[in-house]
Amino acid sequence: MTRVAFGVWDGTVHVAAPGAVDDGADPLVLENFDEFDEGNAIRAFFGDRGFLVFDDSVSLIDALYYYMAKAAEQSCGACTPCRMGTVLVRDALDRMRRGLDAPLDLDQIATLGAQMRETSLCGLGQTCAVALLGAVQHFRERLEAETATGRPIKAQHGMAYVTAPCIEACPSKINVPRYIDYVRDGKPENSLGVLLQKYPMAATCGRVCVRYCEQACRRKFVDEAVGIKTLKRYVADQQSGPHALKFTRDMIRKPLNPDMRVAVVGAGPAGISCAYHLLLRGYHVDVFEKSSQAGGMAQIGIPSYRLPKDTLALETDIIADLGGRFLFGQQLGRDFSIDDLFAQGYKAVFLGLGCQAGSQLRVEGENPATAGYFSGIDFLLKVHDHVDGIAPLALSGEVLVVGGGNVAMDCVRSALRLGAENVHVIYRRTLADMPADPHEIEDAKAEGVRFHTLCNPVRILTENGRVTGVELARMEQTEPGESGRRKVRPIPGSEFTMKCDALIAAIGQQVEDGALIAEDGIDLDRWQCVAADGTTLATSRPGVFAGGDCVTGPSTLIYAMAAGLKAARNIDDWVQRGSVRFFKRSRMRRLIADNRMLANDVVETPVRNAYRVHNPELDPELRKHMFEEVEQTISAKEAYAEAQRCMRCYRVYSVVTKHPIPEGAR
Amino acid sequence: MCTIAQTGQDGRDPAEATVSLTINGTACTAFPNETILSCARRHDLYIPTLCELDDIDHTPGTCRVCVVEILQAGKEAPQIVTSCNTPVREGMEVQTRSKRARDMQRLQVELLMADHLQDCATCIRHGNCELQDLAQFVGLTENRFFDRARTEARPIDLSSPAMVRDMTRCVRCQRCVAICRHHQQVDALVMEGTGLDRVVALRDADDYPNSVCVSCGQCVLVCPTGALGERDETDRALDYICDPDLVTVVQFAPAVRVAFGEEFGMPPGTNVEGQIIAACRKIGVDVVLDTNFAADVVIMEEGTELLKRLKEGRRPTFTSCCPAWINFAEIHYPEILSMLSSTKSPQQVLSTIAKTYLPEKLGVDPSRIRVISVMPCVAKKDEAVRPQFVHDGQPETDLVLTTREFARLLRREGIDLKDMEPSTFDVPYMSAYSGAGAIFGTTGGVMEAAVRTIYAVVNGRELDRIELTQLRGFDGIREASVDLGGPVGKVKVAMVHGLGDTRALVESVLSGQADYDFIEVMACPGGCVDGGGSLRSKKAYLPLALKRRETIYDVDRQAKVRQSHNNPQVQALYREFLEAPNSEIAHRLLHTHYQDRRHALEHTVKEIWDDITMSTMVY
Repeated sequence: MTRVAFGVWDGTVHVAAPGAVDDGADPLVLENFDEFDEGNAIRAFFGDRGFLVFDDSVSLIDALYYYMAKAAEQSCGACTPCRMGTVLVRDALDRMRRGLDAPLDLDQIATLGAQMRETSLCGLGQTCAVALLGAVQHFRERLEAETATGRPIKAQHGMAYVTAPCIEACPSKINVPRYIDYVRDGKPENSLGVLLQKYPMAATCGRVCVRYCEQACRRKFVDEAVGIKTLKRYVADQQSGPHALKFTRDMIRKPLNPDMRVAVVGAGPAGISCAYHLLLRGYHVDVFEKSSQAGGMAQIGIPSYRLPKDTLALETDIIADLGGRFLFGQQLGRDFSIDDLFAQGYKAVFLGLGCQAGSQLRVEGENPATAGYFSGIDFLLKVHDHVDGIAPLALSGEVLVVGGGNVAMDCVRSALRLGAENVHVIYRRTLADMPADPHEIEDAKAEGVRFHTLCNPVRILTENGRVTGVELARMEQTEPGESGRRKVRPIPGSEFTMKCDALIAAIGQQVEDGALIAEDGIDLDRWQCVAADGTTLATSRPGVFAGGDCVTGPSTLIYAMAAGLKAARNIDDWVQRGSVRFFKRSRMRRLIADNRMLANDVVETPVRNAYRVHNPELDPELRKHMFEEVEQTISAKEAYAEAQRCMRCYRVYSVVTKHPIPEGAR
Repeated sequence: MCTIAQTGQDGRDPAEATVSLTINGTACTAFPNETILSCARRHDLYIPTLCELDDIDHTPGTCRVCVVEILQAGKEAPQIVTSCNTPVREGMEVQTRSKRARDMQRLQVELLMADHLQDCATCIRHGNCELQDLAQFVGLTENRFFDRARTEARPIDLSSPAMVRDMTRCVRCQRCVAICRHHQQVDALVMEGTGLDRVVALRDADDYPNSVCVSCGQCVLVCPTGALGERDETDRALDYICDPDLVTVVQFAPAVRVAFGEEFGMPPGTNVEGQIIAACRKIGVDVVLDTNFAADVVIMEEGTELLKRLKEGRRPTFTSCCPAWINFAEIHYPEILSMLSSTKSPQQVLSTIAKTYLPEKLGVDPSRIRVISVMPCVAKKDEAVRPQFVHDGQPETDLVLTTREFARLLRREGIDLKDMEPSTFDVPYMSAYSGAGAIFGTTGGVMEAAVRTIYAVVNGRELDRIELTQLRGFDGIREASVDLGGPVGKVKVAMVHGLGDTRALVESVLSGQADYDFIEVMACPGGCVDGGGSLRSKKAYLPLALKRRETIYDVDRQAKVRQSHNNPQVQALYREFLEAPNSEIAHRLLHTHYQDRRHALEHTVKEIWDDITMSTMVY
């Protein structure tokens, strides 16, 4: 186990010098802290809550310089103490580590550190001097000893990393405070530029993202989380129409030879994102898509009242702007095989197949061929065709939707719009357990959807080949198990019947035709998803990578787009070097996550309440009859106000290592 | 949005102040969610501030000077917070001047000085600077961190004919951005760069001519230092005045005489017309004329034009005397240019006549005439160099001095205005004015002047009640219905001041919602009495608006003649030179045209990526 030689963490001094009296501090339990990469010991760690040294010979001066240099590089310059303090302290430490006379002594450095800590505007300035102050206060003699010789200190190895709770929570690691900065600065085009660094579908994400970032937002300790998604949509919409940013080929870092071709299978969010990043890396990308349109689940699975089709189409078109080619009507396993792709000269393949087969309830009387029975995903596909004018669909009477996820919410709200008189959600757990976005649940309720929780179908009733009703059992919650989660079980004898004209089973999806892919040498896991390495996204077949729903099971847009980016980076490595490199930023994130470094701390000083703005919405009575977009974009004035609410909880972390950390992909 | 200064919490019901706390041991009551600073001010307790500007509700929290020490109820350790944006809490104990708070306030100002150019003697804000005051307030005695090279690396923008943006003196308070974004709603300014490179920059442009800035100059009025200022031309003014071969003509705007005396310690709103005339003469100006006269001429031209347009069914007509408004229309709403009156502004009308009619009268060679105009306006500098107003390389107006520069010019000549014996105009041309011309300087004044004359033209007799109080007031947008009688009948008029409200009004005209015949626009809130070229106030925005306005209406009340068409010198001008309003010669000399100057905004993602700092593609 990692042993702390000395340090200060959360205000507690740790000393493990031989013969030292135990100071009573709880020993820190550190996970996964021995090596940074293979054979490369972590000698010290510096962060927003203090620092920990594991190797007594580490130079504090050099490490603190390195840390403060990162803070100075990241200082936004808005407030006085951080803008100037980081630079002055950095420069003084730099002189010290070079063995030169410094313009500031340790007391003056500590005074500036305290000024930054106590008077800075945002999280970066407030935290970047914590380690420094701990060192000066508790280990001053070490600092003085290091500079006493007047000789230069040898530069140490390591890396520094800047993040924030919202960034760490985002699967795509969007630099959230930065794009909010740009809104506040009055440069929404740069804000969109920050988003486009990670994925091309900003307007889409700004409409349908489930907002992991907002759950992590520390503003909620003051009043409410910052409207990160609302701002994303604002900048994306603001840069549309005549002001749209142009995607030009000079975005491509270095165009590669024509033989550097990669095949992407599936034009959903994962495939689009992967294609985008491969194109930016200079590859020639063909996207194979079984349907006639790009977008995957974002196209067919998200109703147009949440995501207008033209909004999505503008963003998938970016692939073509960058020279990518869509090959529509091409289904893996039916129209081509993976062998075919390699035979055609593709250097690598990305599988972004999605999960497009609806799961069945597996209850008595269930037959997908029965009139009035739909799986959730099939139903949304029909809704899509209805909106597109391909095949009109009308509902009437009572409609029952089984399930509590976002797909179920999309089904109920679409059913209303198609003319159903009453729409019901059937969910076997409680309302609080529903995996759907609470905002979606609220919207559905506002439109008149009725929720029936703690009940579960046991039998489907049919007459003359039509669904006529469902027999349901009431459920009860068990005592919490070891995991702390309550399970549910049916209450014997509680069965009752609900009549209905249509039944939609929206309880999950699976990879379609998984067996066909297995024949191509791609292993599936026990849930019949594509088996891919968690770090590299490589499948069992060399040169084939996979990501998105087909690997994880039904998940979110943002996870799929994140997987696409990760896959593109790894495919690039694999094609250029034959293997996937160590990626130091991922390692740093592991370190931070495993040890819960980003403490979800309270905000200690009073902050003025300023409640978030909300997207204007169409009236529920009006909107429930149509498929036009429900939510509207906020105004510039509202965007400026919302951006002002971000507290910029940036944190700097650094490690000192024994050897240089290998450079990974860029 | 008219922002005539009122502090936020004033006028609230004291019963709502339910939060009890102490500040420096004094028991205070505060409104829920009120800031410590606001509460302290209401209780007359001083806290030094820099970036904050209460009049425009601006608390960006960037300078961090207003730190105080607080002890929250139930907590053991005191904390340091900025009073401008930290709310009060029940039972909080605040110390604004504990040793710790004072030390931190002082260190903050020292850090502000670290990259602030301190050549104060060469600064446009010399002796009138909020940063200098602040250094005094916090007792600054050291300046350990100043680095000249670092400071001089920051940019100075000299690209505007009207303004200078000197980032070596910027303290990043963002007041200019706020006034431009939230009040004027031009949104021409952005914050750019990070760390030490953080500056105020122009949206989507590297220089003023290509930017969406309209040179209204309201940003200058709120700047606490010399970072924003007019382009100083006092030296060129002296070149003209001192050249014996030149005949220098000075004109000064309606608003200048009521917004100038306080610079020399006279009570705000004092009418110093006579002292200005005397001072001009003393420094060697050859001919002193009054822009008020030209305002009367403008009414003759614009009124006639309006009647013609009404007859043709062309409506609405916008006024054209405000150059920042013209810039705004050309850059932001070129689709309305055909609705603008073609009459030149009073400044350009006076300059034109001063180089045509006046030389005939005075018997001098027109090429020897140089016109210097004194204006409460930054945009007038911009207007003077419009290509439409320069003929064969010769501008109509040779030089524009803002009120501030005029004060500087007088100081350079050792003149203290309050010691001057008031004098009167001594040329019998282009100096007499009516009360109508005088009120051009305040919002609603142009409309009122126009109605007085148009009524007489239509009906052949004067209005019974000359003071049209229904046109006065201070709301951002005001509308009225005026019965002009005769064949014209009732017309609907609107008056708007401040570009935020102007934008709203133009939008409603374009969407067909607004229904007006005649619209007066003044880009600056309050009109010219608070123009972007008027005297600066410290820690306040437009504090003297009402006093200045009152004096302007006094000038009207005391005028012998109150309608433009009854100004005898105007009558002489038409009789002897221009023939009639909108005559061929009047058209050639006193009317102009406008140009679509909208900028196409098109970026590539590549350009944007190259501009982004502190965020990378690396996942």
